[in-house]
Amino acid sequence: MNGPPPISVRGLRKVFRQTTSGQSVVAIDRLDLTIAPKEVVAIVGQTGCGKSTFFDLMIGLDKPTEGTLNIGDHSPFADFDYFRGKIATVFQQDRLLPWRSALDNAKLPLELLRVPEPEQRERALKWLTRLGLGKFVNAYPHELSGGMRQRVAIARAFAVQPEILLADEAFGHLDEVTAAELRGEFLALARECGSTAILITHQLEEAIAVGDRIVVFGKSAKLLADIHVGQWDAADYGTLREAIQATLQSNAPDPRLTR
Amino acid sequence: MALETPRESVPDTSFPKQTLVSLLIFAAAWEALSHLAPYLGIPPFAVPSLMKIGRSIATITPLDIVVTLARVIGALIISFVLGVLGAMAMYRSQTLDNYLHPMIRILMAVPVVSWILFAVLWFPGVEFRIAFVLVVVCGPVFLVDSLDAMRGVSRDLRNMMLSFRPTTTDYFVKLMLPAILPSVFTSWKVNISLAIRVVTIAELVGAVTGIGHQLSVAQELFSVADVFAWTIVLVALLFLLEALVARIEHRLLRWRT
Repeated sequence: MNGPPPISVRGLRKVFRQTTSGQSVVAIDRLDLTIAPKEVVAIVGQTGCGKSTFFDLMIGLDKPTEGTLNIGDHSPFADFDYFRGKIATVFQQDRLLPWRSALDNAKLPLELLRVPEPEQRERALKWLTRLGLGKFVNAYPHELSGGMRQRVAIARAFAVQPEILLADEAFGHLDEVTAAELRGEFLALARECGSTAILITHQLEEAIAVGDRIVVFGKSAKLLADIHVGQWDAADYGTLREAIQATLQSNAPDPRLTR
Repeated sequence: MALETPRESVPDTSFPKQTLVSLLIFAAAWEALSHLAPYLGIPPFAVPSLMKIGRSIATITPLDIVVTLARVIGALIISFVLGVLGAMAMYRSQTLDNYLHPMIRILMAVPVVSWILFAVLWFPGVEFRIAFVLVVVCGPVFLVDSLDAMRGVSRDLRNMMLSFRPTTTDYFVKLMLPAILPSVFTSWKVNISLAIRVVTIAELVGAVTGIGHQLSVAQELFSVADVFAWTIVLVALLFLLEALVARIEHRLLRWRT
């Protein structure tokens, strides 16, 4: 593997038509964004800012109305199958298949990739064990706690060994301790695998903890701030947090963010 | 005696006392009526005694049961396969759905008797007629139920599956079919009781084997005891098949408990 390709977003626009009123809603309005290979980026924004729409476009579930979103030279929507085995997602809810055991859930993407059966098992087991689920590989999702289910979902994503890892509010519904723990593991594993990781969150602590870069979305995914966390001292994280908060509230960049 | 009975989702091995008591009361009342019939002006053949019914049950030919059972199971399997394939096609293509949906609604509204008459008029072979009637009655039920169930699969799971970029076959085999399994079992239970009732009517017309045929013979001989005996066999058959499906369901859906 030569490392993940860069992600480039140019003039991206996504407009939805509401089924009931027929009105157009601009979810994303001319977004430009570049994400370097292996970068770990947190996208923050308030509910309804177009984060999830951006995410669906990243996965390739939806088509841009205008503009381009390319990963390397390919579009996740137009070249849908090209990205088989290259992108893996951890969703807000675990989204495990209830009729499959933890192990079978973790190896689902490998089955789709036609990986030989013994290797599927081995890779799924490896990731489940790393995430502390070695004793629960045969448990059904309903037999696991929320945190454990999310671990299975993370194992499922990592088993793919993807170039691009996406996490959509993946830790948001867990209690703080579990969330912090899982977030830490997720980031460590992402760095270890050399994947580009994009995390969507509405929690500022989470965004700051993620590290490399924080992208702040305003209404219609307007790019309000693009923060390189490395330029900030850990002592200033309080100010950073407040500045992002102020940015989100006023829907305009806070002056403290310019460095 | 009505064939409608409440269906249990879990295999019910215990036989409730109340059921036994109500059956015994019915049997006693029937027996009493059979003895009182001459005094009440009821023709003697109309209410045969339990002894007579017992003798009829003893003369039941297993071959007819096997033939009817084979027809029902065969036709149900064909209906199931066609129904699910149809549902998959209609799930994939909205256009196909728009064209086929009204047709299926019409098919489902046609009375069973009309289908039987059509079958007799159109097709020469007895087996084909029976299979045709059963499939045309049960197939749409499988189709409509499966399609509804597929549409009901949560968007979350569908998007999750899509995010890993499955082939169309994988999408159905690994997500859709397991997801609709609970509803498939419900359809099977509904269709088994439907098929058992339809097959007897279909066999009544034109078949020379099967329970329906035996019923028509019994009717020609004015043998209420025989009709009664075959009816008991049919009801027992229905319960047996339902228990079988419930057992398979319990096994395949154990991830739910």
